[in-house]
Amino acid sequence: MKRIIILASTLILGLSGFVLSEITEEGVKYQESEEAGGLEIIYTKPVKGVLFSHKLHVKELGLPCESCHTAIFEMEAFKSQRNPDFIMDSLYKGKYCGACHNGQTAFASNTKCATCHVGVKGLERLKKKAQVLEKK
Amino acid sequence: MERKNNPVVQGVISKEEFTQNWLQFLTEFLSGSKGFYILLILSGLIVFISAMFGVNAIYVGYSHVYGIYREIPWGILISGYVFFVVISTGLSIISSIGHVFGVKSLIPIGKRAVYLSIVTLFAGFMVIFFDVENPFRMAIWNALSPNLTSNIWWMGTLYGISLIFMIFEFLLILLSKHRYATIFGFLTLISKVLAISNLGAVFGMLYGRDFWYGPFIPIYLIASAISSGSTAIIFFTYLGYRIRNERLDKSMELALQVVGKLWALSLAILIFIVFWKIITGLVGSEAQRLAIRELMFGKYAPNFWFFEIFLGLITPFFLLFVSKFRNLNQMFAASLLSFIGIFIMRFDMVVIGQIVYHFFEYKVTDFPVILTYKPTLHEIMLIIGACAFCVFSFLIGEKVFKGHHTEIH
Amino acid sequence: MNWKEFFKNLKTEEQGCVPDETRREFLKIGLIITGVAAGGSLLNVVSVVAEGLATSEELSKEYPYKPHYSMVFRVDRCIDCERCVEACRQTNNVPEYGWRTKILERVDTKAVDQQRQFMPILCNHCNNPPCVRACPTQATYKDKQTGIVKMASYKCIGCKSCMSACPYDARYFNEEKRAIDKCDFCWESRLSKGMKNTACAEACPAGVRIFGDLSDPNSEVYKIVHQMGKAVWVLKPETGAKPNVFYTIG
Repeated sequence: MKRIIILASTLILGLSGFVLSEITEEGVKYQESEEAGGLEIIYTKPVKGVLFSHKLHVKELGLPCESCHTAIFEMEAFKSQRNPDFIMDSLYKGKYCGACHNGQTAFASNTKCATCHVGVKGLERLKKKAQVLEKK
Repeated sequence: MERKNNPVVQGVISKEEFTQNWLQFLTEFLSGSKGFYILLILSGLIVFISAMFGVNAIYVGYSHVYGIYREIPWGILISGYVFFVVISTGLSIISSIGHVFGVKSLIPIGKRAVYLSIVTLFAGFMVIFFDVENPFRMAIWNALSPNLTSNIWWMGTLYGISLIFMIFEFLLILLSKHRYATIFGFLTLISKVLAISNLGAVFGMLYGRDFWYGPFIPIYLIASAISSGSTAIIFFTYLGYRIRNERLDKSMELALQVVGKLWALSLAILIFIVFWKIITGLVGSEAQRLAIRELMFGKYAPNFWFFEIFLGLITPFFLLFVSKFRNLNQMFAASLLSFIGIFIMRFDMVVIGQIVYHFFEYKVTDFPVILTYKPTLHEIMLIIGACAFCVFSFLIGEKVFKGHHTEIH
Repeated sequence: MNWKEFFKNLKTEEQGCVPDETRREFLKIGLIITGVAAGGSLLNVVSVVAEGLATSEELSKEYPYKPHYSMVFRVDRCIDCERCVEACRQTNNVPEYGWRTKILERVDTKAVDQQRQFMPILCNHCNNPPCVRACPTQATYKDKQTGIVKMASYKCIGCKSCMSACPYDARYFNEEKRAIDKCDFCWESRLSKGMKNTACAEACPAGVRIFGDLSDPNSEVYKIVHQMGKAVWVLKPETGAKPNVFYTIG
């Protein structure tokens, strides 16, 4: 069932012609290229500027969609951000990114802060990038 | 400037004498040629226009119209200030050799030098007026809350005092009270030398800035003062005689020869100390190395090699020897080139000291390692205005004070 | 959000099960073996710490101010959320064009693994402040009691010498005040009103900023600065300004 949903949504995404940069209050999302495997998502809550990169996780690390979708993350970007428990503490308990970033599968969530946290600077930088892509 | 030289205020001459003097000044002033008045009006107009730029800058706020910013807080206006006050100091030093220390050959240039020294110092004050954000607070708190460890305080105060001394000195020269003029000349000299060494220390004592820190800049500035003072004397004396369409007399010719020799000597000293500043800087701390590299091989390389070294030091030195200190046209050309070179020297000295970003060694993405500074129209206009003010006052001075002729006693 | 637990986790993971005392002793031995100089030079960055003083009480006697205000950054925790910058703006009326504290982004593309670090900066409240020496009218001065470098705005003539003098880029000209503005450890807005912490340190969600009295052996800043387990450093020690803002990791 999940696979069908993923397949369907990928198709929908594909048909919609990759108009996928969007800058909202919730955050920034954009797709760098068609091969990237998904969006670059920059969260703004609870703290500004946390990057999740499909390009890194899917294209470069070769992780299949099913490793996260939709057991850990829904297909809709920023959906998790609306949950009140979308905080570091949940990550340490193995939720969200913490499912893999636990020190075993991937580096632990309480280390290397500035790897995912690109901060306000990163947010602004990627906003600009998204704007450029939007114009194209 | 005439207002300043009003002898009645000093109570030294009677009313009749005063009216007579003024009438004389006036008739002298009205005797100029057409070209003279065109130049006068033109320079006056430039002063007026740049004053408008200054007023506009005050109105809008300096930070909106000047090119300076948080990381480079001192720009071309500070360089301009240094440029003018160093010339003023140099003029005082050279003129005092004649009329304070009694070296006869240098006496003829003395009167003009004192007058121009007042003018250039005033021009410097005008420039700094438009750089300091609260110049009126400065007048109050400089007196009420002095910081004796601050070189800026000493520099400003000493230059202020020296301006008063110089005005007295000039008035006494005009009134031919030479003994008293000598005393004031001596006081001027002392206050000026102390002031310029503190001006150097304004930069040299900043231990957070590697390019400036150390005794180099005070030494550099005093050597530079003699050089720029000689430049100014040759430049303006030549022009003065041109304007008045007179021939140089023997004593003036001799005086200019001596000034030329002094100038050549000071240029040699300058070349020597600049050489060693560069060489020592190339092996110093990373911050200083970066600054010197930017000056020698970076964006400032044309400034350094062409303007500072070629126009400011080598060419005048060469031209002086070619002229054998006799050919006035060549010496004048040397002084003109040297003026341009000296200004760029001041500019580079001020800007290069701040050009390396504070946290350059931390691979910071927010700022480049080498910052940039570009003077804006407002800043440039104020400098041009101050130069025009010098020309304007010089022209008036030549006429009113009849070519600054001095009789040797 | 439970950040406290986050850092508890962090601590236990880093230090494992070695008791603190043992760990410290071990490190001391390590320092002696690998050359005492490293340990020594790290401690030397502490403003007025004299060499060869053994106990912490003796060390604290050397601090010229009481309280000797100081800040320590656990720099690797910074995530540039800039809540500190915002809090500072609100608390101290800092305009858009200026800043009293800033986060710098360091990127080293040659670094192994993580290549980004955020580095907060503010006024270092130096013991030998170049700005105070340069100011012609004593508009900026070192507070005799707390060591905070303060501004008497009404005396500021706007000559910008202090900006030129500062090795840490901590000063800017505030058009509304017609004076130079800078961090005063929230003296005017908070400390003088009885509050104990600065706005930035309070706003930080990651415990990067720790503010306190460096002359008090029980304070957190004291404990972080006076230990040998982790490197503690200051920015640009070569200027001789003797800053009171320290950096460490963890």
